[in-house]
Amino acid sequence: MTNACNGSHSRLKRAAASEPLADLDDLVDLDQGRLARRVYWDERIYEHELEKIFARSWLFLAHESQLPKAGDYLTTYMAEDNVIVVRQKDGSIKAFLNTCPHRGNKLAFTDAGSARNFVCNYHGWSFGIDGVLRGMAGQELFERSGMVKADHGLHPVAQIATYKGLVFGNLDPDAPSLESYLGDFRYYLDVMLDMDGEGTEFIGGCVKSVIQCNWKVPVENFIGDIYHALWTHDSAARAMLGGPVAEVYKDPDSYHVNFNGHGWEFNLDVVGNAATLGDKELRKYLYGIQPKVAERLGELRSKMIGSISSASVFPNLSFLPGQNTFRVWHPRGPRKIELHTWTIVNRSAPQDIKERWLKGTMMTFSPSGVFEMDDGENFEFSTRTNAGFVTRQQDLYMGLGRGSQLTHTGLPGNVYRNQVNEANHRAFYQRWLDLMRAKDWSEVPQRDTPRLTEADFVHAPAKEAA
Amino acid sequence: MNMADHLQLVPADRDTAYRIEQFLFREARLLDQEQWEAWLALMAEDIHYWMPAIENRRRADRLGAYAPGRGAYFDDNRTDLGRRVARFVQPSAWAEDPPTRHVHVISNIEAYPAEQAGEFVVHSVFVNYRSRGEADNDVLLGRREDLLRAHGDGFLIARRKIVITQSLLMSKNLNTFL
Repeated sequence: MTNACNGSHSRLKRAAASEPLADLDDLVDLDQGRLARRVYWDERIYEHELEKIFARSWLFLAHESQLPKAGDYLTTYMAEDNVIVVRQKDGSIKAFLNTCPHRGNKLAFTDAGSARNFVCNYHGWSFGIDGVLRGMAGQELFERSGMVKADHGLHPVAQIATYKGLVFGNLDPDAPSLESYLGDFRYYLDVMLDMDGEGTEFIGGCVKSVIQCNWKVPVENFIGDIYHALWTHDSAARAMLGGPVAEVYKDPDSYHVNFNGHGWEFNLDVVGNAATLGDKELRKYLYGIQPKVAERLGELRSKMIGSISSASVFPNLSFLPGQNTFRVWHPRGPRKIELHTWTIVNRSAPQDIKERWLKGTMMTFSPSGVFEMDDGENFEFSTRTNAGFVTRQQDLYMGLGRGSQLTHTGLPGNVYRNQVNEANHRAFYQRWLDLMRAKDWSEVPQRDTPRLTEADFVHAPAKEAA
Repeated sequence: MNMADHLQLVPADRDTAYRIEQFLFREARLLDQEQWEAWLALMAEDIHYWMPAIENRRRADRLGAYAPGRGAYFDDNRTDLGRRVARFVQPSAWAEDPPTRHVHVISNIEAYPAEQAGEFVVHSVFVNYRSRGEADNDVLLGRREDLLRAHGDGFLIARRKIVITQSLLMSKNLNTFL
């Protein structure tokens, strides 16, 4: 479902890739579970991340439900690159750098809206929603200067593709398809995105905040760190559940799974995450749909729909099943992020359930949320301690769950016993290293072999299954 | 109960306005002193405590910067507020220990009689300054619109709408009430 963007990738110049950093092997030792603190602090590493991770990975841009009609647009970021994402007249979605190619001013100053064209505030250059330069004041003077209007449209995001409602963009025209980038991780994504064939939607708009932390700290937290919840979130759990967080490390039926550096940690208690929203109607809803999800996706995945779990899609998209917070951690230098959060719900859910979820998500995972409050503090100080010149020369431990890999589970991806684990952290850093080392995608090793085919992500229609 | 509806109205009498002002100052002090339960007791049973998230939209966009049913930092009833207080008072609320130091500055107070006898529409602005640990200093400004209800010698807060100036909250969290 890749949409070629404007047919003119020549409008998106890219400098030749710089030489990879020479000391990458000193930063991470995956066998021993060792991570150098410099990855959270070093400006040089950050510059390479912008180039080698963000400017060639598939980054989350929008949910299709945010752009229902032609001309509907939103502005977001691909790392520090500001982009406009806009629905076209033919129903496709395009994205452009949010900057006028004339003198470089920002084009759209809004978070979202609906437009027939984008007009630059500086000199009034006007662009269609397809990115084509339509006109400007004193057009004849430009023509006399030999300027060809057709060559000066907006700079397109090189590739746009969607997976079950999620719109991703890639600034590298040579990047592999979104399908192969997500690979077998789509098996797990379907738990969140395809419970009943009716799809999902974002509700309530975007809540944004700033955290003074390295972008990888929260990604690690969501990719596999249920371990912290027992301690960090004790106060919130007692407030919302009336008791401590479940002793998940004792759960024999809990897992880490990962593929291509994307990771999901989960148990199979169906509603453990949802319970923290403190609204029994949401648990009833999940239990109510679980049998249908089981028919559609199988028993195991039906027990993941709101269970104690968390996930990150490489590099910086995270979400929580059950709590239904969906979020991107946009880097702002090595020591700062801008957090954008949304609430995701099943499109088919009753309106009342959607409203309860919006409220519950905000109550738990927003800047004022009782869970999020404690996370921010941890994220910031896990970064800021590295201001110490000697401190940042020390190593961190990331070896929890070494030797816990399971084979022959029948599940796709790499599977590990016990969700209290750091297997997904290690898989994330393996992918990170692979990209940081590579001059282009042809040098990125395919470590995880997909076993599933496209047909495995097409499920029987809910009505037939029911 | 929007601002325009009350611009033409005669303000509450001087004595009532004074008592309302003192009430809001006292409420702010309770928050500064982390007297969470005492603060909660100022909320009416039917309190709606709402602080919407702010979006940048064009003036012509009928959706506006915020609206009910959209993202919100608070969209709370009494139970929700009680849960937040329950978290603040947990010994395991690590991010509150050592405590944050707060100052809630309240100003520009306007009080008008509401439609219901004994109720008042009260506008105010606030500056919230928070300091944590060595160098965490966060400042937040906003405007509030309250519905106060006379209760005994004092008042209860029956509605509160808080509109801040920031669309991107420049802080990692919001660990207080406003």
